[in-house]
Amino acid sequence: MTAAALDAAHDGLRAAGIDFVSGLPDGWQRPLHERVELDPDIRYVPVCNEGVGFSICSGAWLGGKKPALIMENSGIRVASEYIARISLGTGVPVTLLCSYRGDVGETEHWGIPHGIVAEPLLQALRIKYLIVRHVEDLAKSIVRAKRIAEAQLHPAAVLVSGDCVWED
Amino acid sequence: MALDRYEWLGRLAGRIPDDALVMSTYIGAVSFEWAHHTEEHHRSAHLGQMGNVIGLALGLALALPHRKVVCLDGDGSVLMELGQLVAMGEQQPGNLVVFVVDNGVYESIGWSSRGRRPTATAGQVDLAAIAAGCGVPYTVDVTAEEELDAEMDLAFSRDVCSFINVRTRPGHSHVRPRRTDGIEDKYRFVRYVERLEGIWITGVPPQDIALMKGRDR
Repeated sequence: MTAAALDAAHDGLRAAGIDFVSGLPDGWQRPLHERVELDPDIRYVPVCNEGVGFSICSGAWLGGKKPALIMENSGIRVASEYIARISLGTGVPVTLLCSYRGDVGETEHWGIPHGIVAEPLLQALRIKYLIVRHVEDLAKSIVRAKRIAEAQLHPAAVLVSGDCVWED
Repeated sequence: MALDRYEWLGRLAGRIPDDALVMSTYIGAVSFEWAHHTEEHHRSAHLGQMGNVIGLALGLALALPHRKVVCLDGDGSVLMELGQLVAMGEQQPGNLVVFVVDNGVYESIGWSSRGRRPTATAGQVDLAAIAAGCGVPYTVDVTAEEELDAEMDLAFSRDVCSFINVRTRPGHSHVRPRRTDGIEDKYRFVRYVERLEGIWITGVPPQDIALMKGRDR
């Protein structure tokens, strides 16, 4: 993750009023987990499974927090069971900040399935999402995703592409 | 001798501190019996489903560390997502007490002449031992009537993250089912927490806040 992308993601979380983050670090967003963990205004809860992270974020929202779940897009698959049960069934807003592995430009073969599944799965879960391919769009996209999550009482997602994470 | 779930839940309902919050299951026998015993008091969130009840309770406990949070879950649900116990053991919020109604069967799916479908706790699995292995500070597997009141009193008299597995007999009471869905249950609970804590949980659009500030001037 470039220094600019790291700053933009952190700035976006703070500007959105996110005060509770759960997640499972991946290769792209690992520095963001490290940054958020040290932020005194954000309660950071690491998990070993994105589904558990989504449940924890949902419980935190019921207690008045503004939660975000930070994960690789493969984590959307893992969390989908709990997103469906909790958010489709109950209506709980959690902002999802996901690395977009498998987007155009992907260099790792194992990232391809993540890219194939991510968008259709978000659509099946009725989750609106923004794809960010330019670092200057990242902070405001997080703010916008959190806004609509709260307005619709349902998750919204930001998919952060490799174009944003790596220097060419 | 395993315990009677309905009778135990009634005793638990009588011990819940007035200012505590409860994360319970959404549907099924535990939810219906808990709602019956508590007259559907809004301090109980009937929002947990298979595999997410402890996760929801953990998030709630971390969000409101000054507030006792009680979780009511079943063995089949805990078994579906054991990763919740890992997070509970890592975070160890002192205000969280998890009670598991462990009857060793999938009660709410019904049964046939061959009996009820067993969960893994009917075999060798010991949920309290798993929770202890995950780092939960206090865990206990309650099998006897005389232990149960003492464990409940202990749980509510101190701030120690606790996992209390209660072995109960399979079998239903015949209380009426709940009729509300997750949306109504959520609003009931959220509005209760908002009043209790003096906070807003559901959002207000920025333009509405600006409008109200304008009117105040």
